[in-house]
Amino acid sequence: MTAAVTAPRRRRRWGSPWAWLIFLLGVSYFVIPLIATIEFSLRAAYKDPVTGEFIRPSLAAYELVLKDPKFVGGLLTSFRIALITIAVSLLLLVPTAYWVRLKVPRARPVVELITLMPFVIPPVVLVFGLIRIYAPPPLAFLNSTFGTEAVLVGAYVVLSFPYMYRAVDTGLSTIDLRTLTEAAQSLGAGWPRVLWSVIFPNLRGALLSGAFLTLAIVMGEYTIASFMGTKTFGPYLSLLGQNKAYEPAAGSIISFAITWAAMFAIVIIGRANRGRTQPAGAP
Amino acid sequence: MDELIAAAQAEGTLTTIALPDDWCNYREMIDAFKAKYGLEVNELDPNAGSQDELEAIKANIGNMGPQAPDVIDVGLAYGPAAIAEGLIQPYKVATWDDIPETAKDPDGYWYGDYYGVLTFEVNKALVPVSPADWADLLKPEYAGMVALAGDPRSSNQAIQTVYAAALANGGSLDDAQPGLDFFKQLVDAGNFVPTVAKPGTIAQGETPVTIRWNYNALANRDALMGNPEIDVVVPATGRFAGMYVQAISAHAPHPNAAKLWQEFLYSDEGQLIWMKGYCYPIRYEAMKAAGVIPQELMDALPDVTGAVFPTLAQLEAAKALITGSWDTVVGVEVIDPDA
Amino acid sequence: MTAGSATSEAPGIRPAPRRVPLAWLGLLPFLLFSAGFLLLPIAFLVIGSFQTSTGEPTLENYSGLGDPYIVAAFWNSVTVSLISAVGGGIGGFLLAAAVVRGGLPRPLRTGLLTFSGVASNFAGVPLALAFVFTIGNNGLITLILKDVFGVSLKATGFTIYSQLGIALVYLYFQLPLMLLIVAPAIEGLRREWREAAENMGATGRQYWRHIAFPILLPTLLGTTILLFGNAFGAQATAFQLTGGTIPLVPVVIGAQIRGDVLRNQGLGYAMAMGMVLVMGVMILVYVWLRRRSERWLRS
Repeated sequence: MTAAVTAPRRRRRWGSPWAWLIFLLGVSYFVIPLIATIEFSLRAAYKDPVTGEFIRPSLAAYELVLKDPKFVGGLLTSFRIALITIAVSLLLLVPTAYWVRLKVPRARPVVELITLMPFVIPPVVLVFGLIRIYAPPPLAFLNSTFGTEAVLVGAYVVLSFPYMYRAVDTGLSTIDLRTLTEAAQSLGAGWPRVLWSVIFPNLRGALLSGAFLTLAIVMGEYTIASFMGTKTFGPYLSLLGQNKAYEPAAGSIISFAITWAAMFAIVIIGRANRGRTQPAGAP
Repeated sequence: MDELIAAAQAEGTLTTIALPDDWCNYREMIDAFKAKYGLEVNELDPNAGSQDELEAIKANIGNMGPQAPDVIDVGLAYGPAAIAEGLIQPYKVATWDDIPETAKDPDGYWYGDYYGVLTFEVNKALVPVSPADWADLLKPEYAGMVALAGDPRSSNQAIQTVYAAALANGGSLDDAQPGLDFFKQLVDAGNFVPTVAKPGTIAQGETPVTIRWNYNALANRDALMGNPEIDVVVPATGRFAGMYVQAISAHAPHPNAAKLWQEFLYSDEGQLIWMKGYCYPIRYEAMKAAGVIPQELMDALPDVTGAVFPTLAQLEAAKALITGSWDTVVGVEVIDPDA
Repeated sequence: MTAGSATSEAPGIRPAPRRVPLAWLGLLPFLLFSAGFLLLPIAFLVIGSFQTSTGEPTLENYSGLGDPYIVAAFWNSVTVSLISAVGGGIGGFLLAAAVVRGGLPRPLRTGLLTFSGVASNFAGVPLALAFVFTIGNNGLITLILKDVFGVSLKATGFTIYSQLGIALVYLYFQLPLMLLIVAPAIEGLRREWREAAENMGATGRQYWRHIAFPILLPTLLGTTILLFGNAFGAQATAFQLTGGTIPLVPVVIGAQIRGDVLRNQGLGYAMAMGMVLVMGVMILVYVWLRRRSERWLRS
């Protein structure tokens, strides 16, 4: 006979007041600058052909951006490159982080330093360095479109290092690596199987975070893409900002909305796939 | 000339860099070039600075791909620097003799393409009375309104602005110190807004009085179409002219296309396209004498009599002075001022 | 003398430790990739820092780091990065805890996490302009405060064009970054631990203070260092906001390497090496702190 000697807990149907306070403060901080940007973007005006007066507020800036063929082209290209980057980054960093934690803990500071290096190298130095390496023969990748995109993906994977590695490492810290690995190995799994069937599913939340961060980076990146000569979304947005007043504000709101929608889509697709595996341990 | 066209068309593409659409009407220039000769134009980073352009040539030595620029359009000081680093090749266009001596390298490595003067771009919705001269900027009615289009440590336009203020403040082309003093007064009076002025900030009202090249200001005025009203004022005194120069990369993957581009730029047609973008083309005097400039174009350009052009040596001296002392002007704080 | 004994026959000869080097081989893909896309370009940086603009070897770039303007830039950068890292760390952690464990409706959590994904990279000119449009001299909130409440923001001495202003703007991408990385960790806190604590009569506060927080501490530290690096390397936002009037290391590097005026790339590269040094120091501090915090877990 057990008696749980606890004070009766109020069923928290609507969440604690503290949580709500913090949440609302956070949301205000995030939303107010966006509102200011939207307000400004709506100041673009159509001119009434009859009276010559301005019709404000209007969606003129948004229309201009959405109708631009470079907008859709850049968006799709960036999105495609982002997905490839996320895949490569996951395939590279998850096994690495796993290996470091399990087998080579002494390498941890070295690996972490390397993953933080992208913060320190200015993007323009990185792109010119990459051009110097991959343009002249024998590694003349930049002469073909495919090669150029491959180098671009490589650069973006490097840019994602700090975020992806930290996300994966954090995820790994929440599961009992050793036990899971030994259990899987005792059941006859080799390393690839261990990673694919045991580790990856347990890191779902962390991998999603890393994927989000990488997607946002690639969609917004400007310097490297423009010097490589690829027609991605970042250079398009930046070009707007140089000469137009209202369109850049509209462009950044549109880009914000689209990237957010893409992330929602990823979450929903991820949920649909969830039924297949049963992650161990996580609530 | 016909052989040049044929050779260029055999190459098929031209790669440019740092040519924004609204800067001197480059959009029309590039489109006209494409239509006339049937070449493709691959436009690299329009926001690149002059330093980026040289670096792009250097990094792409041996690269025949689309990342290597064929032609560059850089600030005056970068012409000799490019020669020193072996990055450009000489080519004298057909209209070479029309270019003033002071605006070209004698061997044809680089030559001026256009110039403009610094003006005040004013957002009339927020500023009822536009400043007429540099001294007006110090008035209390412009508190928190005056801005630069960049940082004098990295933007040609911004550093020339500080230099230009010297002319109206008792200085000269040889003495840029009064320009720094002027801006110190501006900051102390509370009239200076440190944020980088862009069309967005001008229209929104954070930087309603911005000092920019006349062609940028006028192009912006046109683009806004009265929403809001923009006034472009040439200062009464202290008219400062700045020139950019054109050159062909020594490692250009498409040298014939590059030469054809130069010929186009310096032909009457090209020079007039620049004029439509409110830039004074380098062959202005010669073309005016030959009577090939339409009257409307001449009228659309602001009156810039008395504008002065600094020499290379003067530019270098002013640059050294301004970049060295700018932080004292804007009152750089090492300690957090809110602490 | 067993059959399975190791090699030594003579005393004093220890078997060579073969395990460790082989294990490092597992890092080979990562190291090769880093070499090809990160370390080699950095090598150009290192070499360039020892060269003049015409290519001759020199040490003057490093001696140039003593210039008061550059020292001020490093000082400002470290300050702003620390403020935004700590602020973002605390705020992000609170937000993550609120939304994962605070009992808020589930869609809010998904919404905030996906929003954070976007906001974490909403940096550069659009972010700076968003804040200028909000609390700049002519900003939305500034005007509302003035016209509706009669409060002048300028009179309080606050201006967005300051170190504090920059840190405030940086929070926009720091908070989401912390949130995204820490939320899975908070999720990973075992339900059983909470139940066990409650069974022993612990209040919520005690649970957090004695159980959850110490477990999360290594992660929090690691992510705070990430935030520091994130802010330290940020250039475009601060540059647009303050036009270079507040010197920050990436902005000054940008002026040396890019731009139309200064042309001392070697100095820019030397400054980047300075940044590597600062990041290296930060990592050492972090490793030391983490080891101390993990001691709890091991014992």
